[in-house]
Amino acid sequence: MTGIVSAPVVGPLEASAGTLLPPLRLTVSRDDLVRYAGASTDFNPIHHSDRRALALGLPGVVAHGLLTMGLALRAVTDWVGGPTAVRSYSARFVRPLVVPDDDRGAELVVQGRVAEELADRFVVVLDVTCQDQPVLGRVKVEVDRPVEGAA
Amino acid sequence: MPISPDHIGRVFGPTAAYEVTAVKIAEFARALGDDNPAYRGDQAVAPPTFAAVIAAQAWDQLWADPELDLTLARVIHADQAFQFVHPLRAGQRVQASLTIDGVRQRGPLTHLGLTVELRDQTGQLLASSASTLIHRQEEA
Repeated sequence: MTGIVSAPVVGPLEASAGTLLPPLRLTVSRDDLVRYAGASTDFNPIHHSDRRALALGLPGVVAHGLLTMGLALRAVTDWVGGPTAVRSYSARFVRPLVVPDDDRGAELVVQGRVAEELADRFVVVLDVTCQDQPVLGRVKVEVDRPVEGAA
Repeated sequence: MPISPDHIGRVFGPTAAYEVTAVKIAEFARALGDDNPAYRGDQAVAPPTFAAVIAAQAWDQLWADPELDLTLARVIHADQAFQFVHPLRAGQRVQASLTIDGVRQRGPLTHLGLTVELRDQTGQLLASSASTLIHRQEEA
């Protein structure tokens, strides 16, 4: 079980507490880590060197926590119509996303749910898992509610 | 003296101004595999996690400070929160200031609580970051 529920998509205009966002499935490969290291300028060797990752007690090369977060946020930004609606986000990097040096990479599954409906905002929580194990914990994203009739 | 609770309250920065460019935003969005049109063009908006690129420049001051005796390669990111007043956009020049909010030591592990404020050149607050980084001391 992945916790993924198939349901008709409810957009942000009609959403309320409990609304499920469309689930997102993606893979993260070593190539992706290299590209993200360059783009983010985060060159911590635990994201490219198994040897250095093992020395820190990690099982191997792991994804940047903020890469995982950035990928997961897309479940929200795609749903709400863009990044400018994001007011805040927070997460705990509870389990490192180990990225094997193979052609498949690690599979991430993201499931969002509107946890709270406020006058001007939604509080969305995300389950972000790899092989049914959470990699991010307590993921909370606050987004502006769209204004009806606005473009 | 290496990092200790005595460093709580210490402020670093502001960093040299970081110019947010459309090219860098496009590169960052590509690294996320995200083709949202908001990330393209001269008026591009940065993906929400782009704020960490600038916050990390403030963190770099910690690794560069010989007194604190911290090494990036021995750091694991435990949690992260960002709050936005305005989204980051191409054309902004952003400076980051860091405050050490917490230092908790447990054996070889030091938990660092850090806040970073990102401001534009008029001093307007754009975003703030709160994070916990865990540093593992080299075994003696």
